[in-house]
Amino acid sequence: MATEALLDIDEVVKRFGGIHAVDGATLEVRDGEIAALIGPNGAGKTTLFNVITGFYRGDRGSVTFQGEQIFQRPPHQIARRGMVRTFQITKALAAMPVIDNMMLAAPDQPGERLSGVIFRPGASRRREAEVREQALELLDLFNLAKLAEDYAGTLSGGQRKLLELARALMARPKLLLLDEPMAGINPTLGRRLLDHMQRLRREKGVTFLFIEHDMEVVMNHSDRVVVMAEGRVIAAGEPHEVRSDQKVIDAYLGGGGASGAGSNGAGGASS
Amino acid sequence: MSALAPLGVLAELPLAVSFEAFTAGNFWAGVAVLAGIYALVALGLQLNVGFTGIINFGQAGFMAIGGYTMAILVLEAGLSFWLALPAAMLITMAFGLLVGLPSLRLRADYFAIVTIAMAEVVRLVAQNARGLTGGNEGLFCNTEGVNQVCYDDTWLDIEDSILGFLENFSSDPEILLPLLFVVWATVLLATVGLSFIQRTPWGRVLRAVREDEDAARALGKNTLLYKLQSLAISALLGALAGFFLALFLATIHPVDYEPLVTFFAYGVLVLGGLANYWGVAIGSLILWTLLEATRFIELPISDERQAALRFAIVGLVLILLMAFRPQGIFGKREEMVLGD
Repeated sequence: MATEALLDIDEVVKRFGGIHAVDGATLEVRDGEIAALIGPNGAGKTTLFNVITGFYRGDRGSVTFQGEQIFQRPPHQIARRGMVRTFQITKALAAMPVIDNMMLAAPDQPGERLSGVIFRPGASRRREAEVREQALELLDLFNLAKLAEDYAGTLSGGQRKLLELARALMARPKLLLLDEPMAGINPTLGRRLLDHMQRLRREKGVTFLFIEHDMEVVMNHSDRVVVMAEGRVIAAGEPHEVRSDQKVIDAYLGGGGASGAGSNGAGGASS
Repeated sequence: MSALAPLGVLAELPLAVSFEAFTAGNFWAGVAVLAGIYALVALGLQLNVGFTGIINFGQAGFMAIGGYTMAILVLEAGLSFWLALPAAMLITMAFGLLVGLPSLRLRADYFAIVTIAMAEVVRLVAQNARGLTGGNEGLFCNTEGVNQVCYDDTWLDIEDSILGFLENFSSDPEILLPLLFVVWATVLLATVGLSFIQRTPWGRVLRAVREDEDAARALGKNTLLYKLQSLAISALLGALAGFFLALFLATIHPVDYEPLVTFFAYGVLVLGGLANYWGVAIGSLILWTLLEATRFIELPISDERQAALRFAIVGLVLILLMAFRPQGIFGKREEMVLGD
């Protein structure tokens, strides 16, 4: 496996008033790996996601993606460079059909500019046909093809999670950031989601960084685990190394977290 | 259409209705022109509110900018009518961008406050910048030079030639027909054009912004750019409505651009239904027919009370609509329910 860092987060700080939500977090994500980001509630995991994807403006630090500085860039620019995120609470575009949710995410559509609509209608139509085919293929892969014409708002919670992942893939990501992808879905669907992640890494070379509370999932399905507590990264390494790290155990027990990192599978999804 | 049902109920009440005025052609031609003008205003709102999810309460301001700019360019700058029209359109759009650039970053409800304030600032400036706008006397003709110049001179010529053509078919054509025709042709063009761009990938991004702006941003869309374009097109439609109102009333006066204009256009939007461009024209026709038809109900009460009753009736119709068809006449119920 390549050891070169795809994403390099260095000393990132994000304050809200006097609270240091992210307080000098440093970590890297290597090309082609599935990395888990864990930590007790309030550790700053989601805030860190928001800062590196441009949704929050970081106060200090550096974020390098594929060798390019992206710190404080707006979200759409970061997404276009190949770092695509999903949200903890799914953001299905409810009053739009599933297929439109998918097609929206595709890049390089000249028809998304008014000038393209007027001057390049042919190119726009060709791209639409191409994108629709890709979208249907992906929906098929995720067992959502039958629902293509339904409003996304009619989907179940689990189906929305799948749709959000499929939609993110339409954006042709190099790195996918998933914020609690297993939360709120049934175990069968969760297993399928994990299978998809493995397959996408294998077949399309997609790298993953995902936030997760379920320790069983983290320990069995990630190559590397990064642990955050109180806005900082306190440990990073292979699952078995992290599990026995005293700092990690202390953070979970001392920080009032709901689950113990050491007890395999004990951590449920805590709110 | 259930929205019309209350009229039937009223007809059965022991009321005297003066059918003479009710059937007067010029009166209803005027109502139809007004309905067309409000359809244009509401088309802009449909684009903003129905398809982009930005709450614009400033359409009256864009109408004022359009109308005043056109008239001032003709009267003060001596521009021809045909140059003044596109120039006023561009200026109104630029004004829309200027207002939107800082304020579209705000949350939807705060943006709404900014737009209503903008419209009031425009109106109050028009009221007080007497040298340029004529203040409360309004704007019509420039009598300072040797020849009197009015902003609608060119339009009156066009109107005359259309009326001349119409005389081939009728000995005494209705004077408002040319304006009626041009206004509704514009409404039709705008409706077709907007419906078309709504079906393109561009329109899909707008819908995504309406549904969830953060999701659109996370998928690489520059949402501010789309909101600005939506607002600028809406401003353009406001400018067109402003031109037609100025031609219809033959004067430009600050009271014609009060926030009430925007609220009536929202009434049109709600009647026609959100996220449907064709509903706007129908909604406008229904609202104005209701508003004007209720003038002819004669009741044994004072005129002021009757005037108030007219609006109460229109209000009642809107309430009934909300109760029985909350998505409006053409709106999709699923989209309304799922939208939240």
